[in-house]
Amino acid sequence: MRAKTLLAAATAAMLLIGGCGGPQGQEGSPNGPTQGEKGRITICLLPKQKGIPYFTSCAEGAQEAAKELDVELIYDGPTDGSPEKAAAMVEKWALQGVDAICVSPNDPNVLAPAMKAARQKGVKVITWDADAPSDAREVFVNQATAEQIGTALVDTLVKDMGGKDVKGEVAIITATATAANQNEWIVHIKERLKAYPNLRLGSVVPSNEDQKLAFQAAQDLIKASPDLKGILAISSTAFPGAAEGIKQAGKAGQVQVTGLSTPNDMRAYVKDGTVKSVILWNTKDLGYLTVQVAAQLVRGTFKGTDPTVKAGRLGEKRVEGDNVLLGDILVFTKDNIDQFQF
Amino acid sequence: MRLRGVPGPALVLALLCALATAINPAFLSPRNLTDLMLAAAPTLIAACGLMLVVASGEIDISIGSLLGLCAAVAGTLSSPDRLGLPPSLAVAATLALGLGVGLLNGVLVSLVRVPSIIVTLGMLSVLKGANELLMGGKWITRLPDGLRAWGTGSVLGVPVPIAACAAVVALTWLLANRTAWGRRVFAVGSNADSARLAGIPVGRTKLAAFGLAGLLVALATLVSVPRLSLVDSGVGVGFELLVVTCVVVGGVSIRGGTGTILGVVLGVLLLSSVRTVLIFLQLGESSLYWERAIQGALILAAVMGDAAGRRREARA
Amino acid sequence: MRRLIATHEAGLAALLAALLVAAWRTDPAFVSWRVQSGLLPQIGETALLAVPMTLIVITGGIDLSVGSVMALASVLFGLGFRSGWPVEACAAAALAAGLLCGALNGWFVTRFRVHPLIVTLGTMSAFRGLAEGVSAARPVSGFPDTFLRIGQGWTAVGLFAALTLAGTAVLARHVLGRRIYGIGLGESAARASGWNVDRLKASLYAFSGLMAGVAGVLFTARRNTAKADVGAGIELEVVTAVVLGGTSIFGGRGTLVGTALGLAVLHEVRQFVGWRWSNDVLNLVVVGALLIGAVTLNGVISRRPAGSVEGG
Repeated sequence: MRAKTLLAAATAAMLLIGGCGGPQGQEGSPNGPTQGEKGRITICLLPKQKGIPYFTSCAEGAQEAAKELDVELIYDGPTDGSPEKAAAMVEKWALQGVDAICVSPNDPNVLAPAMKAARQKGVKVITWDADAPSDAREVFVNQATAEQIGTALVDTLVKDMGGKDVKGEVAIITATATAANQNEWIVHIKERLKAYPNLRLGSVVPSNEDQKLAFQAAQDLIKASPDLKGILAISSTAFPGAAEGIKQAGKAGQVQVTGLSTPNDMRAYVKDGTVKSVILWNTKDLGYLTVQVAAQLVRGTFKGTDPTVKAGRLGEKRVEGDNVLLGDILVFTKDNIDQFQF
Repeated sequence: MRLRGVPGPALVLALLCALATAINPAFLSPRNLTDLMLAAAPTLIAACGLMLVVASGEIDISIGSLLGLCAAVAGTLSSPDRLGLPPSLAVAATLALGLGVGLLNGVLVSLVRVPSIIVTLGMLSVLKGANELLMGGKWITRLPDGLRAWGTGSVLGVPVPIAACAAVVALTWLLANRTAWGRRVFAVGSNADSARLAGIPVGRTKLAAFGLAGLLVALATLVSVPRLSLVDSGVGVGFELLVVTCVVVGGVSIRGGTGTILGVVLGVLLLSSVRTVLIFLQLGESSLYWERAIQGALILAAVMGDAAGRRREARA
Repeated sequence: MRRLIATHEAGLAALLAALLVAAWRTDPAFVSWRVQSGLLPQIGETALLAVPMTLIVITGGIDLSVGSVMALASVLFGLGFRSGWPVEACAAAALAAGLLCGALNGWFVTRFRVHPLIVTLGTMSAFRGLAEGVSAARPVSGFPDTFLRIGQGWTAVGLFAALTLAGTAVLARHVLGRRIYGIGLGESAARASGWNVDRLKASLYAFSGLMAGVAGVLFTARRNTAKADVGAGIELEVVTAVVLGGTSIFGGRGTLVGTALGLAVLHEVRQFVGWRWSNDVLNLVVVGALLIGAVTLNGVISRRPAGSVEGG
């Protein structure tokens, strides 16, 4: 009898989930990509982590392009940033037979096998925001390479600290110890730091994507080393956390911090002078360009080898090798930050 | 027996601080000690609530996600970018949310009789989902000053988080040691059947412990999140593991029935100082990569020292 | 008691069937062989770890360190490979490390009589930290295709099936099975009956460590990456599947068939939500609610006599 009760409850629950759309989902399924009407293509946009403003603003730009091009856009990614979950999503989309998958790999090694398998199933796979091995994707929508980011971070910090004659220590507050992208940036940061012999790299502190830990780390670093002149806070939570730490330690202006973030999230610190420069690119344009490229690859109006691509409101964008270039890295300062609303 | 969980962590903590001070005297500066206490305060507030739950023979691992959801609710209600309601209202709503979720856990555990580890494991996931939905992919900037005062202000020269934490520790000590309810919590935890036979309302006692734990998580949110100016969607992730670890390192038996507030205080101080100690030791750029290994080793050392002590006691 | 177990399993099977029917009605492609077999490897490591976890939970214990042991095994595999060892030697080292970690857990649990939750909470940090430290948190990649193929297919799921069959036979018919339940029902009574409780408990933790080592190697093969963040959070998934499968978290009750059904329900629900709504946030809510709901429902329906919930 108990089994029957459970069975009845289970069936009821499942009918609630499943029953709303009839067989073959004539209606309901907001993005039933498998049986989509012919002609309308489906593009999946995978962020490193869902729910953070950087990727949300990319997704807004992507949605804009999807509307213009009459494309079905699916934006989903792991809320915890797990590369394994991201790979599982790529595998699922490949089985659903979507037309294109745009991947921002949080760990290129982990995602590459799934991306290759998707390509073998005939799905167009491109990377955006961060690259993967070139045999795992068709093109890379390139807003900045790891090397450009590492170099920009160091150069901007040095400028904010008062030029290359400043002597002292620089520390890094990173995401997690294992974060693949950040670790690649750190390699290039170290490389670039060699150009400034007066600067010494102190600790590399993982903040485990926790703003409060980044806040504490910044304060601890300041107290532990009187020589500390600058901090590179290279994850989206580490940057505001470190800025608040410097501000509350009363060291604004004496210890500089820079990193990558959306202007909206750092505006207050730039205005009150704790942070001189914020590095990023136009995220909405990045999302927009990514969907443009993916849709045109599917429709055949753009081949990966063309020298340029017509990207709607962005005009013609240059293609170098298999990289579609978005344009320059932006530096937001007190003077220009109000021009950017994302 | 009363000292369970005290000698081990106390010894390890003293050694760590001595080491850090010897290498970098700045460690003992008043500023650094204040910062250490500020950082430990929210953990300790939540740990006080969890101690009572564990002493009653149950566990609550939903506190990390509850902290995140409380932060999202406080921010959403009060930030001028979102609803912009008065901070006092946001504070009240946050506390009500904490209490409500705690009571819901308690009802499922004591009335519906679902094991607490399962209820709160499920709740951990549900509350995280609710947090993400509420945040909607954007973070909350511009917390109003009225809310930020909870994290950055001070009363009579003592920072609010530390004052709140001291009050919570004192009240928990009173509750646990000087009230009938406190005695019941421990009686229920050491043997629920005999407690029931002795006429103790087992269910209601546990329900109250869960409610209090939820309320204290909300309070921990209020004194930690407004220390920063920005609420992100990752607030509280992993917090439950930290608090559970602190409580068990502090000698609260996971089987229920025993535990002291002093042990919990030491457990929290020990676990939250590891990272600062490592930074002060300045052992080189990748020394922090060993943080987790050292934390784990400390947990095992503290627990082993304690077990050995208990055994000697038993033999004596 | 036997009837109770049978009903929980029947209920889970019904839930699974209802889910698949509902999925078939909304999107027939989801229940096709092509899709199901394509998605199956994603649950492989979790399934593998669920076998020893079930046995340990039946004895009233728990092993939270499995994800960290996976990471340590994976990292050692990678480091060995980078220093030019043959793949077989790397795998042997990884499995040995897993076994050693598990044995260490068992030693702590039995020698110091500390609750397994506390011990494995500690080793969860320690093993993960060790993996991060020795690898400097860097990945190793680029393994040979012959090795990668082991991970792409059904190795983990096949191994899980074999272990489940063997384990079910042992639990139901062998003296070892009776002893495992015996420890969970009352450890002091089990001790009084004269056989070596500690040795059996320690072997179960060692077995868990070994399986975590296997899972670490298989994960490395499946994702072509040896790294210190492998298996993060998998312990909660494994525990979820085990308790969903009807194993009592207080010990003394549970079956491997139940665990297999628990795994299947967890896997299908998650995959179907992902398939239909492509929304990771929704999945958090649904999986959490499913866990609370299923166990609550089971508790309400099969109301145990007062007091049997506490303890342990």
